[in-house]
Amino acid sequence: MAGAHPQAQTEDQLVVRQDRPNYAALLLVLPALALLAVLYLYPLVSSIWMSLVSGEGLGLANYRKAFSLYWVDMVYTVAIAILSQVLVFVTSVSIAGYLRFEKWPLLNLLYRLPLFIPFLIVGHSMRVFLAPHGVMNMMISRVTGIRELPGLAFGWEGLVISYVWKQFPLATLLMLGAFESISDSMIEAAQNLGCSRTRAILSILLPISSPTVMVAMVLTFVSTIGCLSIPLLVGAAKPVMLPVDMSFRVTYFNDWGVANALGVISYLIVVALAYYYLTHMTREEGV
Amino acid sequence: MWRRGMITRLIVLVVVGFVVIGPLVGTVIWSFAVKWYWPNPLPQELGLKYWANAFGKRSQVLGALGVSMAIALIVVAAALLVSIPAGYALARLNVPWKKAMLVLFLMPQAFPQLPVFITMSSIFYRLNIAGTVVGVTLAHLVVSLVYSVWITTATFKSVPAILEDAAVNLGCTRLKAFFTITLPLAIPGLIASAIFVFLNSLDEFTGTFFIGSPYVRTLPVLMYTASMGYNMQAASVIAVMLTIPSLVFMAVLEKFLKAEYIHGLGV
Repeated sequence: MAGAHPQAQTEDQLVVRQDRPNYAALLLVLPALALLAVLYLYPLVSSIWMSLVSGEGLGLANYRKAFSLYWVDMVYTVAIAILSQVLVFVTSVSIAGYLRFEKWPLLNLLYRLPLFIPFLIVGHSMRVFLAPHGVMNMMISRVTGIRELPGLAFGWEGLVISYVWKQFPLATLLMLGAFESISDSMIEAAQNLGCSRTRAILSILLPISSPTVMVAMVLTFVSTIGCLSIPLLVGAAKPVMLPVDMSFRVTYFNDWGVANALGVISYLIVVALAYYYLTHMTREEGV
Repeated sequence: MWRRGMITRLIVLVVVGFVVIGPLVGTVIWSFAVKWYWPNPLPQELGLKYWANAFGKRSQVLGALGVSMAIALIVVAAALLVSIPAGYALARLNVPWKKAMLVLFLMPQAFPQLPVFITMSSIFYRLNIAGTVVGVTLAHLVVSLVYSVWITTATFKSVPAILEDAAVNLGCTRLKAFFTITLPLAIPGLIASAIFVFLNSLDEFTGTFFIGSPYVRTLPVLMYTASMGYNMQAASVIAVMLTIPSLVFMAVLEKFLKAEYIHGLGV
């Protein structure tokens, strides 16, 4: 296409030229592609391969061991991720819906703040904030006079709070973008017929922007399932999230087979969502 | 009616403010706390002691900052070097299997990255680059490709191809037209891409933790060690140091703020 020379060619030829794949252009993509193949695809494929190899040879032994040792953690991980996801959904729909109707620059700025805080720092900050004698309890003690408050860190509550805190701004930002691209006239028509704002959000804004809402949910769910730093810093000692199991399996037991089996299981948990995301993104880009 | 609205707004602001800012305020206060024993709501003694320690002579923080910066800058340079040609080709030329390639470049974001880092560390161990800056740089680079390839592709798509075609029609070579017309027009987008890659590398923890340990200590790894050892002040000082560049750059980059890109920061 870039080689097109409009004066020298008729329109027909141009179309033909556009349709013909430019194999020379592959050379330009090649360095980036080679890096990705060597540093991402090769480890990805070999992690799947290593999950199948154990002392007994090729087979599912690592998976059997992974399930018998870690089935509680698998259920726990999925449950925590789903609970966080529900809360992320409710929070982000409320904020994005509110901001769709009311221009409020301060709130618009405030909710975005966690976007810029890396996961690791979220983990540390929540550790400081939610511990039994943490910053939050100190403040609440001062206001209410109650001395010994339970800490929320080092348990499922701390994990859920940390994940929701980190993930809701992304979901809100994406959803608000989609909500704002829906024209006022459609919403006003519904409101003229007696539709409330809440109802307008639930039955007009959400259904129309459902692809964006899905993308927001996929991105936040995948990074919750795969995050290591937050559960290391604010999780309980037991049960733990799967990334912690993977990490311990390697660092303490030097057991790559089971670690990779857990890795493949985490791929399988998100595979349908990842497929949706990848097809959606390439469709959006118009390629 | 307006009063009810004001009161609702005030309540929303206090709740959202406490929830969103609270944890960060806690970390900032801890970084300036010299003595802070329970149950005081504020530190008994405030001061710059731990900040001075961090920048002092025997500090590990400065060394880690140097390592982090060096890795991030190399990653930016390498990512741009491979992404500019790739982004140009994907945006302008009829590359075969284009869709499949864009999917490949997005994959690190669609699946959990931890298993890849774990396996990468065993591969790097065999190649003798586990525990080295080279290994960590390569790990950061692969995650950065998501941002750099997608942002440069979008950038080159936004520069009208007709400008370059016009120059070529007037006898300019394709290469010269690229360097004098398309590339200068793409600079803002390329800077945005560089900043995303830089921040992602600066904040990266998981890959560094597996591939760099125990010899490569970047700021996030040092912060993690300090926080796990209940060295709250030292950890909070590093946490604040790592947060400032993100906040500053992101304020500058408002225009390029596409949620998907910032999302992966510092996993």
